[in-house]
Amino acid sequence: MTHDNDRIVSLQLTSRISFLSVATHCVETAAKAFGLGREESLKLSLATEEIFSYLCSHVCRGEILDIRCVNGFSYVRVEFRFSVSVLDMGSLNIAASVDCENEDDMTEMGLAIASRTIDRLNIIAERQNRICLAIEKDKDYPPAPETSIAPVDLTGTLMVETPETEGVKGYVTLVAQGSPDPLRPPFFSYPGKVADMVAAGECQVVTVVDAKGECAGGVLFRFWTARIVEMFGPHVFNQSREGEIAAMLLDTCIARTVRTKAIGLVNLTGMPPSIESQFELLGLLNHYPQDGEAAHRHAFYRLLHEDPGCQIFTEGTLKGYLQGEYERLFLAREIREVRDQGEMKAGASIFSTEVRREWSQAILNPLWPGDDLDANLKRHLHFLEEERINNIFFYLDLGASWQAALMTVLITNHFRTAFIIPFAGQADLLVFQYDRTES
Amino acid sequence: MPARLTSWFFSMIEPNLDLLVPAYVREFEPYIPSKPDPELQKLYGCGHLYRLNNNENPLGPPPGAQDVIRRFPPPRGAVYPSGDSYYLRREIAACHGIDPDQILVGNGANEVIAFVIKAFCSQGDNIITADKTFAVYEWVAVFSGIEVRVIPLKEERFDDRAMLNSIDAATKVIFLCNPNNPTGTYWSRDTLRAFLDEVGARQIVVVDEAYFEFVETEDYPDGMSLLSDYPNLIVFRTFSKMYGIAGLRIGYLAGDLKVVDMIRRTCVVYSVNGIAQEAALACLRDETGHIRRTRELVRESKAFLSEEMTAMGLPVIAGEGNYLIVKLPGSDTLAYRKLMHEGIMIRPMTIFRYPNHIRVTMARMEAMEAFVAALKKILA
Repeated sequence: MTHDNDRIVSLQLTSRISFLSVATHCVETAAKAFGLGREESLKLSLATEEIFSYLCSHVCRGEILDIRCVNGFSYVRVEFRFSVSVLDMGSLNIAASVDCENEDDMTEMGLAIASRTIDRLNIIAERQNRICLAIEKDKDYPPAPETSIAPVDLTGTLMVETPETEGVKGYVTLVAQGSPDPLRPPFFSYPGKVADMVAAGECQVVTVVDAKGECAGGVLFRFWTARIVEMFGPHVFNQSREGEIAAMLLDTCIARTVRTKAIGLVNLTGMPPSIESQFELLGLLNHYPQDGEAAHRHAFYRLLHEDPGCQIFTEGTLKGYLQGEYERLFLAREIREVRDQGEMKAGASIFSTEVRREWSQAILNPLWPGDDLDANLKRHLHFLEEERINNIFFYLDLGASWQAALMTVLITNHFRTAFIIPFAGQADLLVFQYDRTES
Repeated sequence: MPARLTSWFFSMIEPNLDLLVPAYVREFEPYIPSKPDPELQKLYGCGHLYRLNNNENPLGPPPGAQDVIRRFPPPRGAVYPSGDSYYLRREIAACHGIDPDQILVGNGANEVIAFVIKAFCSQGDNIITADKTFAVYEWVAVFSGIEVRVIPLKEERFDDRAMLNSIDAATKVIFLCNPNNPTGTYWSRDTLRAFLDEVGARQIVVVDEAYFEFVETEDYPDGMSLLSDYPNLIVFRTFSKMYGIAGLRIGYLAGDLKVVDMIRRTCVVYSVNGIAQEAALACLRDETGHIRRTRELVRESKAFLSEEMTAMGLPVIAGEGNYLIVKLPGSDTLAYRKLMHEGIMIRPMTIFRYPNHIRVTMARMEAMEAFVAALKKILA
């Protein structure tokens, strides 16, 4: 395991265009040193060029800018940290330069164009008036061999183990060689990538092996938010002992997470039917691939602790829906209705946008309120449609009262409530999905 | 503008907690205790709440202790208590035939766990305990930056061989819970002695006997009686369970004079309040049969509940102590919420690494019957 300090290269400079080449060279050199290929390093450097120029001219001109390159093993992440004033905030929207009125003339500049050359882009509001704008470029890995394999014959007693690198790769290869699944995360096609994700501490993998060391199943899990762990699988490779293997993997996943910061376990990509009864059904998730038919999957959840209850905020439009859902889920919530009573809402709103191109997916989170919620949302939708992003989600934190004002805006812009994820935000997270059939 | 964001945007400079706070503290998720009963009743919409979650004694404290609580003179509220529970330590020592200086009293047994870990462990050290046992040993070690080796139970019992095999040069303390919370299983006198013999004096062995007074079996060991043979042994006892003064927070540890002298250095004096000290004294002097009455209640309730659960086809783990575990067909945390709506509070066992199990405290028959009825309703 590499020491944490070996995984970070930092640079501090003033955001002036004369320093552009310093920033791009630093990122490109660090990316190569972290093992990113030549082409990927160049793309990351190009995105850095766009972002640096944009920050210099629109966001934090002449201010101190911290650039940090992080070796995530399976990707390289570049973080731009800076302080902002209220006046600059609107420019931080990925769609800030998109003109909604003129569909054929989308200005190609700034964050929008930068997002095209990298795999993920995100904006995070941090403490002390700081903003972190982060971009990530994945390393290239060879895909798992396509050869389909015979079902695993098991011998003797089954045991749970934490696999070494070869065991992780073996498990991922078996998953990749299973039936095609449009909702399977792309990383499951690349055994080496998952091995690097485990080595980087981004996720954990647990497998079940038989007396001869044959892999009978496995599960991958990782923190999805500060308090929610997302579980992929369990994947079972021997159907005759499915119940036993799935239960062993689930119990281990719970045992490894229950005394951490995690308060809940979520599964959005499917699990064996034998363990579904140990979870609560949150709702249905639709996935629209770039090509092929839409796929639908249930979202499951289980709390790891007693429900401490909390207060959530809503507009009148969704009060009935939330009451119904909380009743169905037996969750104790104090629901407070928020009304617009003419108070001032000056300034430009900001949405953070996480674009995951490999999944044709974008996740929007509101970071800052403003008087342009509807226009800002429309700009984002326009941009994401231009980018051919098929799966657009909007996450509302029901614990933040000001976010309730977005409910009507979202519904009138063809977003539909998908489900609630308890404690995934300051309080619960309400997930909206853009309904492509109505746009 | 939202208050939180306003402060995020315009606030004075905040301390950099990433630099100020050690990673092992930042990463630790604090335990969120249940809200007070009236708040829970409001949240879950239940008019009455049966508390079957904390292994409290439904009979309350012995009559003498109740009298102490009732008659505590208000002016004494202004006076500091004995900083080291002077009279109580003398009484405990007399009960067990040991020196008062072999005893340290804490604000509940939880506090004495922290005393022990602070006294013996520093970064790089480890402690050993079981995976499915009282969580506080593990929590205190984790937020103190100490490695925890959790050894899986074997047939619901502490696995002596696996624990011994996990010991290395950095192991400082081994925590045993006897009888174990939540399984109620225990090590016999022979097993405990054999374990202590094998450990030698290389590590401190803590035997938590929080439920000591509930056990009636012949081969159950009294840790106090072993102190003279094993100077590395520390025994925990509490007044929260059998003696019913959980609300006053008082427990203690006992050990060898030299060992306790070391632990005393990490002990916060004056942490145990005056009413608790006097009530605990009254508990020890009880001659009204409080222990017998409680044991009878536990026996009757446990037999009733075991029978009812078995009739419902639900597996039960019922050992010693005033509790038992029931295995449910689905999520225990969901069952908790459903039962709360019915006015029943139990302990979901996922936190003890027993997913889909609940722990139920033995209480009066009225509460037991209400629990059975509610469980039948939510599983129907």
